[in-house]
Amino acid sequence: MSNAIVICTWERDHEGVPAGTAEVLTLARKLSGAQGLQLNWLILGPMPAGAAALAGQHGVANIEWIDDGGLASFQPDTCTEALAQYAAQHSPAALLLAQTFDARLIAPRVAARVGAGVVMNAVDLSVDGGTLTMTTAAYGGNTRAVYALTNARSCVIGVLADGLSAEPAPAPTSPTTQRISVDVSGVQERVRVVERADLQGPRLQDAQIIVAGGRGLGSKENFRLVEELAAALGGMAGASRPIVDDGWTDSSHQVGLTGKITRPALYIAAGISGASQHMVGCAAAKTLVAINRDPDAAIFRYARYGIVGDCLEILPELVRAAKAR
Amino acid sequence: MKIVICAKEVRDPDAVDNYVLHGRLEIGPDGKTLTQTSIPRLMNAYDEQAIEAALRLRDKGLQCTIHAVSIGADPSNILRHAAALGADEIVHIAVDAESIDGSVTAALLAGYIRSIGGADLVLCGRQASDDDQGVVPALLSETLGMPIITVARAVELVQSDPATVRVTRVTPNGDELVEATCPAVVTISNELGTPRYPITARTMKARRMKPTVLSVEQLGLQPDHIRPLVTLTRQFVSTVQGHCEFISGNGPAELAQGLVGRLREARVLN
Repeated sequence: MSNAIVICTWERDHEGVPAGTAEVLTLARKLSGAQGLQLNWLILGPMPAGAAALAGQHGVANIEWIDDGGLASFQPDTCTEALAQYAAQHSPAALLLAQTFDARLIAPRVAARVGAGVVMNAVDLSVDGGTLTMTTAAYGGNTRAVYALTNARSCVIGVLADGLSAEPAPAPTSPTTQRISVDVSGVQERVRVVERADLQGPRLQDAQIIVAGGRGLGSKENFRLVEELAAALGGMAGASRPIVDDGWTDSSHQVGLTGKITRPALYIAAGISGASQHMVGCAAAKTLVAINRDPDAAIFRYARYGIVGDCLEILPELVRAAKAR
Repeated sequence: MKIVICAKEVRDPDAVDNYVLHGRLEIGPDGKTLTQTSIPRLMNAYDEQAIEAALRLRDKGLQCTIHAVSIGADPSNILRHAAALGADEIVHIAVDAESIDGSVTAALLAGYIRSIGGADLVLCGRQASDDDQGVVPALLSETLGMPIITVARAVELVQSDPATVRVTRVTPNGDELVEATCPAVVTISNELGTPRYPITARTMKARRMKPTVLSVEQLGLQPDHIRPLVTLTRQFVSTVQGHCEFISGNGPAELAQGLVGRLREARVLN
């Protein structure tokens, strides 16, 4: 059997190749090189446009394609069963998933069905004395916990793609596409959707400019200062978890490990201390600006530009400066 | 109805955050254990919210017994807290929690749930705030053959026969309303809201409660079942490269103009 390093993706809402795929391919290639194993890309459901070209750039040997009608849209029980059947047939040494909301649900279930190990929040993978070694983010990003695969032959790994960079392979390949069949005809979805998630308007995770507020705003009423600057810059408003927990704004604005993972061009953090939990959700911003009264606040360690001052005074002035040309 | 809450004792993540921020987090000679005894141990906050979810079902008139179960050397403090909040049964599975992984945890929890004749609803926090892995609920659902619904902001029972749980999930595309026939596993997120404080009378009573202690053998598990598939070998503090350019200026207006000017120069803003 192949015992390859396999990355698995599925499309959601006809979005094309899912975000993070190139980053996970880069990490998977590193692992396949270290273990001397083939790198394959398993695609569930419709073949996204551009997949073959991306696979070639990243040194993929085979695209394995499960084009079953049952996988046309994401359904957790069907997806789990398809992947478990694949893993049982092909025994991949490692099965990597970009850690999306859906992947977090699927990865451990597949591992349970095939007796594989499972590790989430992976930021690096290596081989140490023949043992698969996985570095993960723990304590909300404060520490790195390193796990070794000990009593299993394979591991399902959720990868935090947002902190990684994508690099094409030194030698491109011409991957072949191989169809794989599984039988998911007997799967009945046990969780019934009563009302679909139907977010109107733009999503925070797609925003190019985000202005986010935290406890430093002082009160619920002041969250409008964040919204006003976001509007003036043509961006969206974000929030730290403590103020979402306190009801200053709703959770659709929450940025962080348990909220939205964003990667905007500009992220302005106002009155946010910079707890690791939050930084996981905005560390991939191209330019991070911090406004905080405390010059020792952790947020300044991540920031490109900083203002030491009261965000209640600075935010209205930023609106004025942004509008002035 | 029988509700099982899976609760984990963790090191206070805010205290860990604070030590890291000041560059003072200590990792022991084994290279992986956080050794500072000044870091408080408490119940994983998401698990506390799982108890809150169960109590809200009870508030609405559901007749239920709530079992809180925890694995570790001595989680009796968090179990008494669970009792003070309203758990009827508190159960301690005596295994060294530091040496096991998610698959062993799921096997132990499944062993307990089977030993009490099953559960109608298993509520777990969405993840533990120490390792952030969040794999146990899904592993447990597979072991028990139950459906799983993750990241709930609200849980209600909409039908009693067959019992049906209806859950509002927090997804990246907004809230999703789903339901499943019990028995089911549901994981609870912080969006559920702040858990209640225990009332004094219950706290006093809980202080005298002793958890039922169960061993691996009593759960009918073989040594094979408790062999971890992944093992923590090392832990270290993540480093951040800081290169912040502080904007200078006299008063808020000047600072703001300075920043916007700098962002325009760098072509971050138009």
